[in-house]
Amino acid sequence: VTGLWRRLRRARSPNGVGPSPPASADEVEITYFEDRLSPLTASERAQMPAISRCINCGLCALVARRLGGVRPPDLAAAYLRDVRRMPAARADLSWIDPGSAALAAAAAACPVGVPLEECVAMMRRWAAAP
Amino acid sequence: VVIGGGLAGAGLARDLALRGASVMLLEKLDWGAGASGASSGLLPGTPRQLEIDPESARAALQDADDIMRIGGHLVHRCVFLVPVLAGDGTGYERMSSALETYDRVQPRKAARPHMYLAAGEARRLEPGLPADVSAAFLWEEWSIDPHRLVWANVLDAVRSGARAVNHSRVEALLRDRGAVIGLRYRAPDGHRTEVRARVVVNATGAWAAESAALAEVDVGLRPFRCAQVVYDRRISNFAISTEAVDGRHLALVPQTGHTFLGSTEEDHYGDLDALGVRPEEVDYLVQGVDRAFPGIRRHRPLWAVAAVWATLSARSDARHGVGIVDHAARDGVEGLFTVVGGQFATYRRTAEAAANTVCARLGLHARCATAARLLPGASGAAPPIHELVAEHGISSLAAEGLLARHGSETPAVLQDARRGRLACRCQALTEAELAWAVGSEQVRTLGDAFRRVGLAGGPCAGGSCVERAAEVLGHELGWSPSQRREAARDYVIEAWRNRSPVLDRWGWAQEELAYGTRRGWPGWL
Repeated sequence: VTGLWRRLRRARSPNGVGPSPPASADEVEITYFEDRLSPLTASERAQMPAISRCINCGLCALVARRLGGVRPPDLAAAYLRDVRRMPAARADLSWIDPGSAALAAAAAACPVGVPLEECVAMMRRWAAAP
Repeated sequence: VVIGGGLAGAGLARDLALRGASVMLLEKLDWGAGASGASSGLLPGTPRQLEIDPESARAALQDADDIMRIGGHLVHRCVFLVPVLAGDGTGYERMSSALETYDRVQPRKAARPHMYLAAGEARRLEPGLPADVSAAFLWEEWSIDPHRLVWANVLDAVRSGARAVNHSRVEALLRDRGAVIGLRYRAPDGHRTEVRARVVVNATGAWAAESAALAEVDVGLRPFRCAQVVYDRRISNFAISTEAVDGRHLALVPQTGHTFLGSTEEDHYGDLDALGVRPEEVDYLVQGVDRAFPGIRRHRPLWAVAAVWATLSARSDARHGVGIVDHAARDGVEGLFTVVGGQFATYRRTAEAAANTVCARLGLHARCATAARLLPGASGAAPPIHELVAEHGISSLAAEGLLARHGSETPAVLQDARRGRLACRCQALTEAELAWAVGSEQVRTLGDAFRRVGLAGGPCAGGSCVERAAEVLGHELGWSPSQRREAARDYVIEAWRNRSPVLDRWGWAQEELAYGTRRGWPGWL
């Protein structure tokens, strides 16, 4: 559909030739909907370097063994390595309570400051994608 | 006999076996342990390649289509975004016309036409772009897991009757009145075996000169060295292509769970078996992509990898970088061929051309079947993730990884119901899959497990999984407790070579932590 739309738009240019008119971000998102290439929000992007500090040391798991069905170190070290996996992993994440005391305690125990609460918020947003 | 277990050798062994030849494939290390496995896995005939070498670019596009068809479960779409920045040699006009041309050949590999984005829209899609971006182009490529592609070729060759042996070094080529009539190799247990063969094919890549020298034949090679930096996660929405300070094209390519930044390319001189990435290569790559993706320095690289590939140095021997040398015609040595210089994306075509030459010598009249026959895991429907989760009690993440590696053969991997526990948490790798890799995929070391199923490829870089993984391998292979410790130690030392050039302060903290936990081990480091 996108290709047809672009061809139609080009046909409307004076000669029917020349560079394609610019695409919009929405058009790109629709085209690559199945590839889940939707952008991270600005705040999610800002969190990524801090999430990247997780070295799976396991200290968070000492204070909160499980968050729902997930071991706390797995949030940053496994699940958030590619947000596009989140919809497929929805079942794993559905029991995590973003406001739980266990999550706050796990985040406080992290020696490198991985923002676990923000991790959960990000994962839930991406997991809710259709 | 085919020597060399990279993509060229594995593809050739598969081709010959499918034509009914009696084939043996030998590899001195592990399948895909050289340049093939170090590839970022792109299946391109990129716009730039189309400009420089249209014929090989078109061949790459056609072969990419074949690879997507025969190994669909291993292939993923990779969408490139190229920001137009002030000072780039590739400006808007040049890029636009190159992509208009590229669009005409893109349908060959089921890709859509390119798109052009104004600056604001480009930054909306990829907020990591710099503020001074003036526009961006977007086009599609396909990428594949290079280690799994090599193994799928080896496995299919074996299923078609070939014998494939890894960790076996060829020590000598057997001669009779000048002709090569076989070879002697040394197995990992030290046992030496002689094999007779009507034809020996040297497909050892950059080591081809060394292998040909066993028959006192000179193969003039021009080795190239490439270095890449690998990050621990997907750090950009799109693959980003840009120019380094010297005009070289660099790419930041997100694959599932990793991002590859590469690559340098320069002539290589020196020891082929002692490749290490130099810190200045890492600096060059990071600095080069920094102008197109300024946040890059805040992300944590996991490791850097260098690889060497080669082309024939004599232009008369090579066409589009690929050379198939018949040493009977060139050097008067019957029974020996050398295949050098195929691209990653055209491995199947290179193998077909080499197999045609070998079959003509063998008097074998059979047609190539590699473009039609599906690779293992690609035939039949793969079970959905939720079914694997419900049936085997594994996480969705583990199920997704299994499907990406094994496709429709995933249920066979999970036969051992006791082994749903994770061996490597970062990679969501189950003990069942690790045990399967030992029993069915020729995994003999932890390094092999990294290549075959991604063990220790995550942010902990093996810190929290190598010991447990050594236990699983040890159980399957009958290792003693000290052998298990030695295997873990060997892996950490091997991985250190690639880790040390990229460590930042967090990386050093991680290494100290890992060292601390192992300090009590007898004989550790």
